[in-house]
Amino acid sequence: MIITRREWLWLATAFSATRLWRRQGPGLATVPLFAEVLPTSSGISWVHDNAMSENHYLPETLGPGCAFLDFDNDGWMDIFLVNSGPSDFWKPTKPVRNALYKNNRDGTFTDVTEKAGVGGAAFGMGVAVGDYDNDGWPDIFVTAYGKCTLYKNNHDGTFADVTEKSGLATPGWTTSAVWFDYDNDGKLDLFVCSFVDYSGEHKFECGDNKIGKKYYCIPRVFRPTASFLYHNNGDGTFTEVSKGTDIAKALGKGLGVVATDVNNDGRIDLFVANDTVQNFLFMNRGPAPAVKWKWEEIALQAGVGFSESGQARSGMGVDASDLDNDGWQDLFVANVDHEMFSVYENNKDETFHDSAQQHGVAQATRLLSGWGLKYFDYDNDGAIDLILANGHPDDMIDGYSMQVKYKEPLLLFHQGEDHKLHNVSEQAGPAFQRYFPARGLAVGDFDNDGAIDILIGNNGGAPLLLKNQAAKGNNWLGIHLEGVRSNRDAIGAKIVWIAGGKKRSHFKSNGGSYLSSHDPREVLGIGNTAKIDELEIHWPGPSKQVDKLTNLPINRYIRIIEGKGIVG
Amino acid sequence: MWKSFSLIFFLLGLAALGWAQAAQSPQALMDDAIAKQRAGDFPGAAKQYRSLLKLHPEVAAIHSNLGASLAGMGLFEDAIHEYKIALNRMPGLPGLRLNLALAYYKTGRIAEAVEELIRVRQRDPDNSQATLLLADCHFRMGQNKDVIRILQPEEAKHPDDLAIAYLLGTALIRDDKPAEGQVLVDKILRNGDSAEAHLMLGTAKIQAADFAGARDELAKALALNSSLPGAHVLYAHALQVTSSPEEAMKEFQAELAIDPYNFDSNLQIGAMLRKEQKYDEAKPYLMRALATRPGDLAVRYQLAAIALSEGKVDEARRELESIVKESPGFTEAHVTLSMAYFRLKRPEDGNREKGIVEKLTAEAQAKQPGVKAQ
Repeated sequence: MIITRREWLWLATAFSATRLWRRQGPGLATVPLFAEVLPTSSGISWVHDNAMSENHYLPETLGPGCAFLDFDNDGWMDIFLVNSGPSDFWKPTKPVRNALYKNNRDGTFTDVTEKAGVGGAAFGMGVAVGDYDNDGWPDIFVTAYGKCTLYKNNHDGTFADVTEKSGLATPGWTTSAVWFDYDNDGKLDLFVCSFVDYSGEHKFECGDNKIGKKYYCIPRVFRPTASFLYHNNGDGTFTEVSKGTDIAKALGKGLGVVATDVNNDGRIDLFVANDTVQNFLFMNRGPAPAVKWKWEEIALQAGVGFSESGQARSGMGVDASDLDNDGWQDLFVANVDHEMFSVYENNKDETFHDSAQQHGVAQATRLLSGWGLKYFDYDNDGAIDLILANGHPDDMIDGYSMQVKYKEPLLLFHQGEDHKLHNVSEQAGPAFQRYFPARGLAVGDFDNDGAIDILIGNNGGAPLLLKNQAAKGNNWLGIHLEGVRSNRDAIGAKIVWIAGGKKRSHFKSNGGSYLSSHDPREVLGIGNTAKIDELEIHWPGPSKQVDKLTNLPINRYIRIIEGKGIVG
Repeated sequence: MWKSFSLIFFLLGLAALGWAQAAQSPQALMDDAIAKQRAGDFPGAAKQYRSLLKLHPEVAAIHSNLGASLAGMGLFEDAIHEYKIALNRMPGLPGLRLNLALAYYKTGRIAEAVEELIRVRQRDPDNSQATLLLADCHFRMGQNKDVIRILQPEEAKHPDDLAIAYLLGTALIRDDKPAEGQVLVDKILRNGDSAEAHLMLGTAKIQAADFAGARDELAKALALNSSLPGAHVLYAHALQVTSSPEEAMKEFQAELAIDPYNFDSNLQIGAMLRKEQKYDEAKPYLMRALATRPGDLAVRYQLAAIALSEGKVDEARRELESIVKESPGFTEAHVTLSMAYFRLKRPEDGNREKGIVEKLTAEAQAKQPGVKAQ
C-alpha cells in the first residue's frame, strides 16, 4: 500500500491535532473538520456528463455548477445540480439532465427532477437561485452554452419554464449569474456573465498536428464578449439595461461574479472575474440622465483588474466578504496555475491591495487552478475562513507538466487570532487528501445543525457533499431574512451583531464562487459566547429600515421579517 | 578564456619592469612589487606600487600595475580608478584598455566594457582575446546578432576553437537559427561528451519550449561542470516551468556565485522577490541587472513597480512614462502607469493610459486564431 505525503500527514495529524479537531463524546476519538457524505448514504447518484470528445470543445471543460436551495420551503436545504446537454457540437446518445434533490431531513435526498420539470435541454453551465417575483418561493436561473433557462417556482414542487416570457433567453455562452437589486426598488435584477464568442458552425479547435491530438484551447484565442444586466420590471419580465453602460462596453470572458457593496454607498456593485483578460469592477453610481443608470468600470485603478506585474490573469472563481471585520467588503479571485490567487483587501477608498502572500494563499495556490470558492465561517468562531475547489481545465496537463495535475486537492483556510488565513487542509479530513476535477462550489447547512456544509460539482464526475463537523462546541444563530419592501431575499442587507463585547457585521452579498448558488440563510458564529446581546438588520432600499433585536435565541434558526422582527 | 586575460596582466608587469630598470631609487621597490604580483601576493604588490606612486605619481605604468594588483584582489572599482588615471596619461600603454574592459566586465558594467573593447579592436583587429570578450559582452546584453556578426568571421578563421563555436552556436540558437547552431553543437559533440555541448542542447530546447528536455540536458551539463557559466541560469529557467520557484531560485543563486553580474539571474531573482513583496531584498538584484544592461526596460519596469508598491508614486510615474515612451507597446507598463496616475489624482491621464491598455489588448486579441477563424 502506498501512502502519499498528504495521506501520511493526515494520518499523523489525526493523532495530534486537538486544536482544530473537535473531540466527540468522552472518548479520545477525533473527527475531521469535514466528512464526505457518500452517494450511497445521501442517495445522490447523479453524475455530471462533461461530453468530453476527441475534438475537445471548450464548453466540455467548464461545468458544472451546483446550488443549495429550499425549493419547497420546508426549512431544509435541497440540492440542484447542472448538467451538460444537447448543443451544436454534441448530441447525447443517452439521456442527460440536471438534477433536483429534495432533502429528506435525515441526511438523505430524493431525486425529484422529473416531477419538478427542471431537467433542462441545453448544455448547462451554472445556476443562480433567487425569488425574482417576491412570492416567497425560490426560482432557478440556469446558464448555458446555447440558451439560458428561467424556472419559476409553482409552489407545489414543480417549476414552469418562463424563459421566453421573462425575456431572459440570453444567447451565447453564459456562465455565472447573480440576482441582486441594483436600483433598490425591492425587486431582484439579474447579471449574467458571458464567456467567449464560440459561435459559428465551425468550432475553432486547438491541437498538435504532429501527434494528431486535440486539446482544450486557451480562452485567449477566442473573442471576448459583453455580459448582460437585466432589470426586473416587476411583472415577470426583464429588460436588458446594459446597453450604453460600461457593462456593455467592457468586453470580457466572464466566469465568476459576486454582487456586493465595495464602497458602502448603499448600492450593490459587481466584481467579475475574467479569463485571460482583465477582471472588471463595475461600480454602481446610481441614476444618470443619459443612460438611466451609471456603471463605472474601475478594476484597473482599484488594483483588482490585473496582477501586480500589470498582466491580465485567468480569473475564474470570485467572492466577497468582510475578511478583517473592518466593515468593508474584501474580494477574492482564483486564477489558473502559476498565477496564484488573490486576496484583495479593501483600502476603503475604492482601491484594494493584494495580501495573498501575507495570508499564505499565494504560496498554497501556485500550482492550482481555482473555480468554486467561498469565504465563510466554517467553525462558527466569528471569523471568516475560506474554502477553495480546484482542478486544471486541461485534461492532458499531466502529460506535459511535472507538477500541475488535472485533478487537484481542495484547500481549506482557517482565520486565526492573528487575523491571517492559515492552510488547515491537512487536518480537514480524507476528502482534502483526494484530488478532484472540481468546478462549482456551494455552501449551505443541509442538516440544519448550524455548521455550514459544502457541495462541489466535479467535471465529468459525481458531486462531492461534505458535512461540516468543525463547528461543534461553538454557539451560533441562523437567520433567514425576509424582505417586505426590500427584495424578499434581502440581498444587500447588512447584519450587525454584538456578542461577548465583540461587534461584528456581515453584508448579505450574493453570488460568489463559480457557477453556483448558496444557502440564502446566514449563520452568525459567536464562538463560546453564550448569547447575542444585540442584532441589527439594516434592510436595503427602498425601505433602508433598521430593525434592532434583542433577547435572541442561540443555536437555532430564526426567521426575521422586515419591520416585524422575529416570526419563527 | 580567463587564463588568456591573466597573461595581459603579466605583460603589463613586464612593461613596467622596463621602466623600473631605468630608475635608480625605486628599483628595489619595483622589483619587489613585480615579484609579489607574479607570486600572487596582490596586497603586497599593491602596497609597493602605492609607495612608488608617492615618489612618481606621474608614471602611468605604476597606476596600471596597481590597477592589475587591485583587480587581482577583486577590488575592481579601485582598479578601474587606477586604469583610468593610467589611460589619461598614456593611452597607448599595451594591454591597459583591455584590462580596463575586463574590470568593467567583472563589475557588470558591460556597456562600458563594450566601448573599451571596440576601441581595442579598432587599434588591434586581430586581438582574439578582445574579440571573444566583446562577443561575450554582447551575449550578456542579449545582443545575439552582434555576437554572430563578430564571431562568424572568427569561427571561419579558427574552426577548431571550441570557445568560439560554443558562444557562436548559442547565439545562433537564441537568435532562432537552430539549424546553423546545430552545426556548431555537432562540432562540440564530436569532441566528446562535454558540459558545453549539453548546455547548447539545453539552450536549444529552451528556445523550442521543451523545458523538460532542457532541464535534463542542463542537469547533465552541470554534472560534468558545475562551474560552467550560464548553465545554472538556464537550468533555473527550465525549473521555473517544470519544478518549483524555490528550486529555480537556488539555481539562479548558484549562477550568481559564479558570475555575480549574470543579467538573467539578477533580473529573475529580483522579479521573484518582488512577487513575494520583498522589495528591499529585490532591489539590489535589479540594480545589478541594470548595471549589466543599462536602460533595460524589463528591469526598469520591475523597479518602477516596486516604487509604486512602496508608495513612491511620482518616482514610479516618471520611470514608467519614460518606459512607455521608449516602448509604446509595453502593455504592462501602461497598466502600471495608469494606476500611478489614478493614485496621483490625475484621472484624465489615468483614463488615457487605460484607453491605451484597452487598445493594445484589443489589437493582441484580434491576432488570436480563434478570432480569425470566425
